[in-house]
Parts: sequence; C-alpha cells; structure tokens
Amino acid sequence: MASITFSQVTKRFPGADRPAVDTVSFTVPADEICMLLGTSGSGKTTLLRMVNRLGDPTSGQVLIDGVPTTEQDPIHLRRGIGYVIQQVGLFPHLTVEDNVRLVPSITGEPAAKSRPRVEALLRLVGLPPAEYRRRYPSQLSGGQAQRVGLARALAADPAILLMDEPFGSLDAITRGRMQQELLRMQQELHKTILFVTHDVDEALTLGDRIAVLAEGRLVQVGTPVELLATPANAFVRRLMGADSIVRQFEYLPVTLALDAAGVRPHAAESITADTTLLEALLRLIQSEQPALVVEEAGRPIGHVTLGSISRSVRRHRSGVQA
Amino acid sequence: MQYLLDTRHWILGEPTSITSLLVAHLRITAISVLIGLAVAFPLALVAVRHTRTYLPLITVAGILYTLPSLAFMALLIPFTGLTATTVVIPLVLYAQVVLIRNIVAAIQAIDPWVVEVGYAMGMTTRQVQWRVVLPLALPVIVAGVRVATVTTIGIATIAPLFGVPSLGYLIFQGFNTSYADQVMAGVILVSALAILTDLALLGVQRLLSRGRRVSPATA
Repeated sequence: MASITFSQVTKRFPGADRPAVDTVSFTVPADEICMLLGTSGSGKTTLLRMVNRLGDPTSGQVLIDGVPTTEQDPIHLRRGIGYVIQQVGLFPHLTVEDNVRLVPSITGEPAAKSRPRVEALLRLVGLPPAEYRRRYPSQLSGGQAQRVGLARALAADPAILLMDEPFGSLDAITRGRMQQELLRMQQELHKTILFVTHDVDEALTLGDRIAVLAEGRLVQVGTPVELLATPANAFVRRLMGADSIVRQFEYLPVTLALDAAGVRPHAAESITADTTLLEALLRLIQSEQPALVVEEAGRPIGHVTLGSISRSVRRHRSGVQA
Repeated sequence: MQYLLDTRHWILGEPTSITSLLVAHLRITAISVLIGLAVAFPLALVAVRHTRTYLPLITVAGILYTLPSLAFMALLIPFTGLTATTVVIPLVLYAQVVLIRNIVAAIQAIDPWVVEVGYAMGMTTRQVQWRVVLPLALPVIVAGVRVATVTTIGIATIAPLFGVPSLGYLIFQGFNTSYADQVMAGVILVSALAILTDLALLGVQRLLSRGRRVSPATA
C-alpha cells in the first residue's frame, strides 16, 4: 500500500535546451498499475528514476504516501522499491537464486532464511526452482532472464514496483505472455506499479491508468477508456490511435454502446459489462441474435445490437473531431 | 636428466640446490608481480576515471617494456648495486603494460546496467564495488596477472648475473663449467615452472569466472 504523487516535478540536465521533465503533477493511487506512455525523449524514464532517487528533481517533489522522497535515505528507500529494466541487469557472476535474494542479502539476511521466499518467488514468475535455482544468467533465455529480474525486484516485498520497458526486448509472443502474467500476479500482489512504455497496446492492456508524456510535459492522465474516448488533444488521439475503429473495438467496453431505446428484445444470450466492443460484436455475429443483454453483477443494465454499436462508434468519432 | 634426478641436488639447506633456487625464483617472481599489481591498480583506476590519462600512461609503460632486460638491470647497478632491487625494479615496470591494460579493460567491460541495478536495489557504493565490480573484473585482471607472471618467470632467469639467486644459476653455472646436464636442468625447470604457474592461474581464472566465458588477456 503506497501511493506516489508527483508535485510540480521538473528535472533539468545541464546543457539541455529544455527540461527533461517539465512541471509534472499527478498521483498514482496505491495498488494501481500506472503506465507512463510517450515517445523517446518524452521524459518518462527520467520521471521514473526520480521515484527511487536515481535522480532527484531540480524543483518540485516526489512523495510516497505523502512523504517527500528527498527526506528519505536513498539506500533505505531503494530497498523498499522494486526495479525492473529492459536490460534486465542480472548479476552474471551470481546464480538465479543469489540474484533473487540480492536485496535480502545486502541487508545481511542469511541465505537459509530467504530460501523459502526465493523459491516461492521463482514459482510465482513461472520458473520451477529445482530447475532454475542454480543456473547462471548466461544459461537463461531473454524471457526467463526477465522473469528472474521480476522475482528479484519482488524479493523484499516492496510496496512499489518501477518497471522501465521491461518487456521491450522480448519477442511479441513472449511479451504478450509476460503482460498477462504480470496482470495475474498483480491480482495477488497488489503493488503500486509505475510502468514505462512507448507501446500503446501495452499501455492499454496493462494500465489501470495511463499518463501520456510529450517533451517532458504531462499531456493527459486517465483510464484507458478515458484516453480512447476523450483524448485531450490531437496528439493523444494520434498516439492512442483513437481514430482506429479496431482499437476502439478492442479496448472500449460494451457499456458505451447500450441501445438507447428501452425496448427489451427477446435476447437469449447475455454478456458482462466489462466485455469489449470487439467481443460483443463477435458474440452478436456468432449467436445470430438481434441483441445481447448486458449484465453488471448479474443484473441486466441494457442491451446492445449491431445498430447500437455502429451508432456509438459514429457518435464517438464525430465527438472526437468536433 | 642425471642432474635433475640426483637427490643430492635437491637438499633443502644448500643455497645452490634446485629446491633453494626454485624457492628463490618463485619469491622474486611473486614479489615483482605483487608490487607490479600494487603500482598498476591505482594507475588503472586513474585511467578509468580520467580517460585522457590512459594513452600517455600506456605509451610510457609500452616504451619501458621495449627496454632490453639485461641492459635495464645493468643500468641500475650504479644506483642499487648487485641486489634484488636491481632485478625487481625492471620486472615491476615490465609488468605494467599488461596489468594496466587488463585492469582498465576489466572495469570497462562491466555492463553499466548491472551497476545501475546494484544502486537501484539499494546497495551502498562499497557494496557495489565489492559485490559487483570486483567479482566481475577479477577474471580479466587474473588473465593479465597470468601473462605478467609467465613473463616475469622468464626474465627472472637472468637474476644470478646480478648476484640474485634464481633457477638461471643452473644455466650460467653449467655454461661456465661446460656441464650440459646442469644447463638442461635449468632450462627444463624454468619452462616447467612457467607452464605450471600459467595452468594454476588459469584454474584460478576459471574458478572466478563461474557463470561466464573465460576471457583471454588483453595484451
């Protein structure tokens, strides 16, 4: 349980003509996955590194649970924050087990004591301990190495996890699998995760919330649906691909397309409110029904038809362009 | 072979016995390499931190390396006389090129992300140096020590010309008395010592390189 608040955070590097991060303010609520989305040079990594004090703001503050990070000892602070990067950075001279128990070991915890937790973590990230514990990083694939990197970041049971394009160098299939596993783990871990990415689909898949950055400034912060449905400006719309019908169908929930007419047709099938438009559309086509009932917590809240979906998309597009 | 196999030539207390000469040879080698390391380490650290110093440093060390050992030691006699110092100074200086190069290469070869993660996980600077930088650099440093040690063992053969005992004594003494078997014994012993030391240090390097490829020396 830990929230992260950026308050008027600015970071200037000597010799640069504009700040890398420019008066950014927003809050990441506890236990949420917040995606920092932007092109390269947008300041997302710089912003991330200020949370564990790998760099301090030139002005403004980063607060964890309301306490400014600059008032905390960086060594102590960092031991309570997990850090996962694209380059993984496993220690090549240490076994998988010793890599994972790095943080406990630097605080002087004996190996025997952390053994059970190391094994549990390896199982959590999908690596059977008996098979992988004694391997060296050079004996792992890219995906396996990043799983170890994740286990290592979780070893001290930190409340916050910082992830800087952790799946960026993995192939598309492995990346997709790792994203799903991260979501699965988050269901039991409830960490506050700050996740840097330049991949819009990754942001939409993983984020409870997405903060869009451009040239050091925060352009918009909101849920994936908010960013797709009401992009703040042309840049966000282009970045999110909000004009793309396919993307809307993939991520927007069916509740945006409920039929306004109160008529309840004899729909045999029902879908839940968190179903995406794409899934709803496919179900409509497969079921050969004129409409589907949309249910929230087991209660019907409306229904969708092919007509209502197409109307909602048209309405949404004209709304965006206006 | 007669000379080598004769047990009388291995008597411990005898100053010119094979055993004594072997110990003397190892001692002069160990002293030279250790002092060499003590000199090379700070110089290499300076070269890593201030990259501009590397080229002049390695150039001077390279020029020193080209000086013929016999002439170098003879030049020192007016200052240090017929003492071990006369032999050790050139040996220390010869080792600098390969040691400095390898220490610098060893530190520069460390993946900066690994160091970054060390700090990000909450390691102190001391922990990063002792638990990350040193263990990662050691195998490459030892590769340099291997080359320096074998070279030093070879050059230490001429030490007896300056009144300092080493296995070279057998060679020079054998020449003076036309005792071919003694010359052969000296040659075989020096070669064997060089090869065995190299293998032993290779073993150390392997042990230190767990999980990684064994890297050759940068020389």
